[in-house]
Amino acid sequence: MSDTIIKNKDTVLNEFDQPVKGVSLMQDAWRRLKKNKMAMFGLVTLIFYTIISLSAPLLPIHSYKQQVLGHQFLKPSLRPAGELMYERQDKLIRGMAAKEGRTELNEAEIKKLADLKASITTEKKVLLNGEEVLVHERVYPLGTDSLGRDLLARIIYGGQVSILIGLLGAITSVLIGVVLGALSGYIGGTFDSLMMHFVDIMYSLPYMLLVIIFMAVFGRAIQNLFFALAIVSWLTVARVVRGQIISLKNSEYVEAARSSGAGTGRIVFRHLIPNTAGVIIVYTTLRVPSFIMLEAFLSFLGLGVQAPFASWGVLIQDGVYAMTTYPWLLWFPAAAMTLFLFSMNFLGDGLRDAMDPQSKNKL
Amino acid sequence: MSKYIFRRALGLIPTMFIIVTICFFFIRLAPGGPFSSEKKISPQIMKNIEAKYHLDEPLVIQYVRYLGDVIRGDLGPSYKYKDYDVNFYISRSLPKSILLGSLALFFAVIMGMGAGMLSSLRQNTWIDYMSMSVAVVGISVPLFVIGPVLMYIFAMQLNLLPVSGWISERGYSALILPVFSLSLPYFATIARLSRASFLEALRSDYVRTAKAKGLKTSVIMFKHVLKGASLPVVSYLGPAFSGIITGSIVIEQIFRIPGLGRHFVQSAFNRDYTMIMGTVIVYSLFLVIMNFVVDVLYGYLDPRISYK
Amino acid sequence: MKKLLITLLMITVAFAVFAGGGKEEAAPTADPVVFSFNNGTEIQSLDPGNIEGVPEHRIYMALFEGLVSYDPATLDPIPGLAKSWSVSDDGLTWTFKLRKTNWSDGTPITAQTVVDSWLRFLSPELAAVYAYLPGMIIKGADAYNSGKGSADDVGIRALDDYTFQFELTGPAPYALGMLTHYAFAVVPMHVIEKYGDKWTMPENFVGNGPYTLTSWDPQEKIVMDKNPGYWDADNVKIDTIVAYPIEDENTSLNMYKQGDLDWVMTVPDAQLDSMKLDPTYVTNATFITYYYQFNTTKAPYDNADVRKALSMAIDRQELVDKVTRGGQFPAYGLTPPLANYPKVVAFKEDFDAARALLAKAGFPNGEGFPKATILYNTSEGHKKIAEYVQQKWKEVLNIDVTIENQEWATYLDNKQNQNFDIARAGWQGDYVDPNTFLTDLLYSTAGNNDGRYNNPKYDALLDKAATMPEGKARYDVLRQAEELAFSEDMALMPFYYYSTANWIDTNVWGGWTPTILDVHPWKGMFKK
Repeated sequence: MSDTIIKNKDTVLNEFDQPVKGVSLMQDAWRRLKKNKMAMFGLVTLIFYTIISLSAPLLPIHSYKQQVLGHQFLKPSLRPAGELMYERQDKLIRGMAAKEGRTELNEAEIKKLADLKASITTEKKVLLNGEEVLVHERVYPLGTDSLGRDLLARIIYGGQVSILIGLLGAITSVLIGVVLGALSGYIGGTFDSLMMHFVDIMYSLPYMLLVIIFMAVFGRAIQNLFFALAIVSWLTVARVVRGQIISLKNSEYVEAARSSGAGTGRIVFRHLIPNTAGVIIVYTTLRVPSFIMLEAFLSFLGLGVQAPFASWGVLIQDGVYAMTTYPWLLWFPAAAMTLFLFSMNFLGDGLRDAMDPQSKNKL
Repeated sequence: MSKYIFRRALGLIPTMFIIVTICFFFIRLAPGGPFSSEKKISPQIMKNIEAKYHLDEPLVIQYVRYLGDVIRGDLGPSYKYKDYDVNFYISRSLPKSILLGSLALFFAVIMGMGAGMLSSLRQNTWIDYMSMSVAVVGISVPLFVIGPVLMYIFAMQLNLLPVSGWISERGYSALILPVFSLSLPYFATIARLSRASFLEALRSDYVRTAKAKGLKTSVIMFKHVLKGASLPVVSYLGPAFSGIITGSIVIEQIFRIPGLGRHFVQSAFNRDYTMIMGTVIVYSLFLVIMNFVVDVLYGYLDPRISYK
Repeated sequence: MKKLLITLLMITVAFAVFAGGGKEEAAPTADPVVFSFNNGTEIQSLDPGNIEGVPEHRIYMALFEGLVSYDPATLDPIPGLAKSWSVSDDGLTWTFKLRKTNWSDGTPITAQTVVDSWLRFLSPELAAVYAYLPGMIIKGADAYNSGKGSADDVGIRALDDYTFQFELTGPAPYALGMLTHYAFAVVPMHVIEKYGDKWTMPENFVGNGPYTLTSWDPQEKIVMDKNPGYWDADNVKIDTIVAYPIEDENTSLNMYKQGDLDWVMTVPDAQLDSMKLDPTYVTNATFITYYYQFNTTKAPYDNADVRKALSMAIDRQELVDKVTRGGQFPAYGLTPPLANYPKVVAFKEDFDAARALLAKAGFPNGEGFPKATILYNTSEGHKKIAEYVQQKWKEVLNIDVTIENQEWATYLDNKQNQNFDIARAGWQGDYVDPNTFLTDLLYSTAGNNDGRYNNPKYDALLDKAATMPEGKARYDVLRQAEELAFSEDMALMPFYYYSTANWIDTNVWGGWTPTILDVHPWKGMFKK
């Protein structure tokens, strides 16, 4: 901005008196962002995730909460559930027989398997939505969980809450953390010292009990979950931003702004914060996974979304123990979440590079 | 400067006092108590228990008694684990957590700063993408997944390392998996934070001047950039340090490490008031001291910072 | 001496390691037999006066021995510290003849030690949680514990050095079985006087059980070695027992698979199907019932028809076969089956009848049924059952319930203060008698009657049974009460009777028998 001189209200000229097309900061950033392949990949993926999550009820998938007992722990496959179920039962029954030292199945077991086979093509079930279907013709492309629920649907619905939590956590932490951190760093003195003592105290309170007490008083509504996230999410951001501001507040451009009569608010919000945007963006995207996992921990305490609804964090938590026996229960939710976080981080990096005021006109 | 340091150091005392006071009263608001039990304890036995631990006295008296004990260095008996007191559990588990945590943090800082520096110098090349991808994996895969997966690969399948246990039982090889798992998320955060701040520092005027003077990249990096760019990392390390050396329950449970992290979580579940207070005091002591050190470091790392 | 022993032990171990290349049968008898198991969690204390749980009990059985101990297979009381006993004709005075035996430091155990130990347990200053057990049966014990009476009035005395006697408050045929409990432990008073609270430190510890404490590293392990001075040392075949407090089920199972543990009791749910095929899986019926509690102080759960409808709309066989999958037994009553008390089947599942009952209660096809919540403490297993019930009630009765988990202490607080609609619970019998379920859970004034079930007819039947001598007649009255509580009132909603799960290679470890209380005494175990 400093190399352009405003001659009059309509045209902007550079130092060679050539007219410069007015490019806003945002337009400029977008232009550079488009050139960053990884960031664009991230952006496209995030849009894809958002569309899938928002349109989940319209998608041709099973219900995330419909249990079909008998379809438990079916592996990912495009074959009908009945066949997989039969194979699984067959293997279990043979395993039991082998444990008892028999190579042949006894009559009861043979009959059980035969009944099961017969039921595959005939058994009907009324689903929770009132629809009656040939239940064993269902297909589970990503397999099923311990109660015979469709993992694909659970991951998609889980994404709704996890993405929301991640973003809200990030936004609140930025809003509170950046503002308080920046003010604290810029104003300094007693205000700074009181702020930092306050941050230390907030850190030190036993968070788990804080949540337990909070729940006992206010109940378990979803907005309380966001509040529980917000009250601690901003602490480290505040410290990081404050550190940056302290280092920047004596730079020339701040001096310049100050001497030209800019107030505290203008200096902090127009000059200092934009100059720390890089670190803020990176740190914020970094925190998203911890918010998603924090949600899983809060649901352990009973705060947050309620079973049978399950967030990514909860799905992964439940999947860990199935790692060796039913690995899809861990890997699919983990992959869904990791891809999301990857995209998030690369977009964050791209944004950082694009918004970097120093890199203007580079690239 | 020294006056500032002195003033800040003095300020730690009221902070600790406030933390102890708030926590003491606050934790008693949680539903249930240290002696709630599934099979309901009769009022008469409950009365005996409360008398034994002075829980029948007014809360303020309990508080004064507790404060007196703490000043004398006695953190009181544990209400749940009755044979030893809180001092014993902390003095026994803290060193192990410190060892594990500082090893993990040490690796995280070295590797993270290294990766961040490399990425910033080779911005938007495959080196950058590779190391940042590793970092994203490190931060997106939670500890409770990394731990069991590593255990499955290295202990169960390859039989290279012990399944779990502490040095006393399994030797130093027992440290490898927990230290590595624990350092991953910290490595990731530090790598990404330092990449961002290195990039910023590389574009700053003083680096441009240094470049113009014809200094070698390595000299510029270590003499100029490193110092200025480590600010965000240092700010992050304050809380991170106190968090990591006071233990991680996840890693401790998976790898059977007798550290302090378990007491943090378990004492809250048990409503073991004295144990909660003990862990809070240890944690916040580390925290306020570390944050104080960080503030002092700012002045050293960045000459532009002045404290008035 | 102890140091020498450890050095010797280490040399033997080192030798075994170096000799490992050679043939195993070189000197198999010289190797100490070590048995490692996962005790589940850190124990609260070694002091029998301070303990409450099952993990503590396992350690207690190794380090202490009361007047009587358990038969390893039947769990019937067998001579322990007492070698014989007799009862007066009115059944109120019990006299025990003690063995001449010593503490692990060589100090003799006398009848006075027993008296002092029991008085210590009852003293208000110790504040033992289980003081109510002796309080229930021993004359004057409750008064002393509550501070209303003095220690001198407690009905226990030493007649001479090796004769001990106590008086009961009334006839209690189960008193002898109760004596196996740690509430009746004998503790080394001479050590307690010397070290006070520090007496359980490994360097001070003295016990009288088949094993003695070698080391205790909190959160790591407890090592107990055979007590050479134990009176029946010849029958203690395992040299060392190591108890690990492992909370992570996956780690515990991995250690079991690697041979680091010889006995585990839990595996992650997702590994249950494959671990059930493991040849070392041992399961057995046990004395625990899983149920949902109705808050009968709150509409509409104060209406027996609603309770019945909810209870009859579940398929318990399907639940245990497909959801819990651990070999549990569907329950249509409260008391798990006993030898002389077969299980009560007070109702049957009938979806049509359930719908009719709900309509009768004013909610035809579930319409107008208030928003209900199932409360449970956070656990993967409880969650699955709640999810199953939620779907079943929707399918059968067309009612919507939400399910809500809370961490343990919050859950207990809400449950015990009737701050719930329907709450998950489980109950383990303290002694082998239906009374421990029927009275403790459903008697109108019982402390654990969290659903506040109240039926004077039921109370009257239990009062009647309380005055009757052991035998079929008493059991018949108890059965009558149980039938009433479930066929007419559906006082709570039973799901299943637990079965125990153990993974232990019984081809290697002998003398370990599955038992109804899932108690496994150490003495008598051996390596095959």
